Amino acid sequence: MRYKMNFDILEDDDWTGQVRDVKDPFDPQASGHDILMLDLDDDELAAMNSENDAMFEDLVGENASQADPMQDDFDQIDPVAGLENIAIGFFEQLSTAFPDAEYHSHRKRERNPISISLVDRTKTAKEDGASTMKTVSFPQNTKRGSSRSTAQVLRIIDLMHEALHEEVPITKRDMYYRDVSLFKTQSIVNKYVDDLAATIGVGRGDLNVRASSKGLFSGAGLTIHLHSGETLYGNDSESTLIPVADDIEKFEMRDGLSWVLIVEKEAVFQTLARLSFSKHPCLPGHGIIITGKGYPDIATRQLVCTLADNLPVIIPMIALVDGDAFGIDIMSVYKFGSSSMSHERETLTAPRLQWAGVFGSELAQFGVERDSMLALTKHDEKKARTLLSRPELPATWRRELQHMIFTRRKAEIEVLANAKPLVNDLGFIRPSSSNNQIVTPPVSLPSPENALTRYLVHKLSVAIAGRAAPTLV
Amino acid sequence: MSLAFLHAHDCSEPHTDSVWGVAWTATDSVISISADGSLKQWDSTSGQALHTLPPHTLGLVSLDVDPAGKQALYNSLEGLTCLLDVDSGRVVGRYESYARSGNDAAEPAWSVSLNPKGGTYAATGGSGSVSIHSAESATFGERRATLTSGRSKFGMYCKHSPDGTRVAMSSEAGQIYIFDLESEKLLSTYTSHAMTIRSLAWSPDAQLLISASEDKRLTLHDVRYSPSGKPGSGAVATFTGHSSWVLSTDISPDSRLALSGSSDKTIKVWDIGARAAVSTIQDTGEVWSVSWRPRPPQHGSPGAFVSGGEDGVVRWWRGAGAG
Repeated sequence: MRYKMNFDILEDDDWTGQVRDVKDPFDPQASGHDILMLDLDDDELAAMNSENDAMFEDLVGENASQADPMQDDFDQIDPVAGLENIAIGFFEQLSTAFPDAEYHSHRKRERNPISISLVDRTKTAKEDGASTMKTVSFPQNTKRGSSRSTAQVLRIIDLMHEALHEEVPITKRDMYYRDVSLFKTQSIVNKYVDDLAATIGVGRGDLNVRASSKGLFSGAGLTIHLHSGETLYGNDSESTLIPVADDIEKFEMRDGLSWVLIVEKEAVFQTLARLSFSKHPCLPGHGIIITGKGYPDIATRQLVCTLADNLPVIIPMIALVDGDAFGIDIMSVYKFGSSSMSHERETLTAPRLQWAGVFGSELAQFGVERDSMLALTKHDEKKARTLLSRPELPATWRRELQHMIFTRRKAEIEVLANAKPLVNDLGFIRPSSSNNQIVTPPVSLPSPENALTRYLVHKLSVAIAGRAAPTLV
Repeated sequence: MSLAFLHAHDCSEPHTDSVWGVAWTATDSVISISADGSLKQWDSTSGQALHTLPPHTLGLVSLDVDPAGKQALYNSLEGLTCLLDVDSGRVVGRYESYARSGNDAAEPAWSVSLNPKGGTYAATGGSGSVSIHSAESATFGERRATLTSGRSKFGMYCKHSPDGTRVAMSSEAGQIYIFDLESEKLLSTYTSHAMTIRSLAWSPDAQLLISASEDKRLTLHDVRYSPSGKPGSGAVATFTGHSSWVLSTDISPDSRLALSGSSDKTIKVWDIGARAAVSTIQDTGEVWSVSWRPRPPQHGSPGAFVSGGEDGVVRWWRGAGAG
């Protein structure tokens, strides 16, 4: 009768599942492990050994093939499968590490960290073609929390998987904004995206992660003719890169254009494009959507300025920016100009641009709870205070910035997605005096699909109806 | 047991933006500060405006009055701290806490509190410490001491104990720090909340402290301080019932009742001894600030209080007799 120690977590030198002879089989402390003593005969022992060996192969072998981009030259690497394998590999390790609820490990050293292996892009490949790997381990002994790095990698895998599955491209910046408090910095996202791409053996683009580029517009109502003879046709469901003003010969507007919307974030723009928001049935006419992807470049500002100068006054031009100091600053760049380009102010500013949101002070009306708003960082606060010290700050801006500093929360556009989906007949939230919201089902008009479109339809309707709403400045 | 409170009357001319602070003074006037930058003084019986200071460019975020109702200390969003002589309506002290002075980094003041014994005031700011300044006209604002908590979380609120021996500060991270003013030492730290504590209130005998937090709860603390150094037992009760952030709190002059204003648009009155809510009053907007009438109520009456909220209106409420 041989006794085998069944290691619930295999130590470094036990990957092969070797049997260790125990000096005193009845003294668990002798080898320093928690031991589950099994009564096995040789056949069962051999079976268990091979089982362990197979498990080892599964884990390491899998990673090994992912680590080697040269291996599958002639096979198409399926990026979705690649992502799934990494994630599944991690969860398999997790489940074998803690097979039953009673498992406790009293000694730190015997708890082998579970890890995700990624290609180390800073090291060149070894002679046999395999790449040097680095690991992201769980648990980690760091100040930031033992699971943070692993959570970050898994979240990025999740976002890329979603992007591939939904066939909606995502940018690295977009990913960062999806979970700011998890990622903390943009560079973490950048690092892991490229690490994962290298590990799976595909290009970043194959994971549906696009590179950021310049300003975009969407909407079939706008056609741009270039000096080169080329024509850029606006499209309701796709984006078109905004060309530099010097290249533009003339603009062409289709009849029935009734609004222009400028959004700060590309992610929001892409969502709207995907929903063909520029021709949304709930609005009286079609419109144009523009994004500068954050602080706008010159080309974007020129387009907005040209539209502002030439469109009839009854067509509202509104901006949707985050309800934080930077969003307001971006609004201010479109509307009043930037200090660095103040010499070209006439061709770059659009004073008629109105700020439609997101306002922290109105979010409660749209079913968003205070707690789902992000906390103000020191950076945000400093920026907000700087903006407040500007002379001639419009009153609504001042009110929102003050409100932001006083509540120490900022309202990013994404927070609308957390809104409770209560609608009344036109898709608005009707605030009621008690806390019980009154829900009435949609009547004749089709209700907008999600909180963002609901919000924008409301804001645009108000703007179009006469621009008398007190929230617009 | 439940108590009824009736809406007595509103102020005659509302502020044009949220009321961020109210204080019912010993002389039965009410002072209110607002996000619109103005400070107004009201007669409590009629709600008529007595004084209105010309509005500041930015909102006023903190207000405290002395026990006699003679002086009011207030601070603006960017850190301009002023002292008002209540009777004359004149500003008798100004301090720009945001201005650099010497080698000190500028740290704008946020919440301010007058020492009931007079002479100094306390201010919190972004660095998590409490600074003590002169409250005398001639030297107003001069820094006398800095009390550090050991952490650098934003100091949301500070208030002196009614006997003027201690000052309590609450942080954005949910801690409460109590400092002894004489020795300038940190006496105790309480971590009863994990989210921002927006307001604190002392009982008149300085034995109880109530904290109002964004976690929708209020916590009652025993903060008795004995000279031997053994502090009170800390958190002894939690008041739950609000469905959103608790923004403001006050304890009644007879120590029996606590008051809370919340962003769920209600005001709640709590029986401290019974540890239960005895009244919920529906308001029209988020209630940023509440304050009991400092004169102890007549026997059998639960007292009166004033509230200020999002709509810019200062409201008076009175108890409807014994419940």
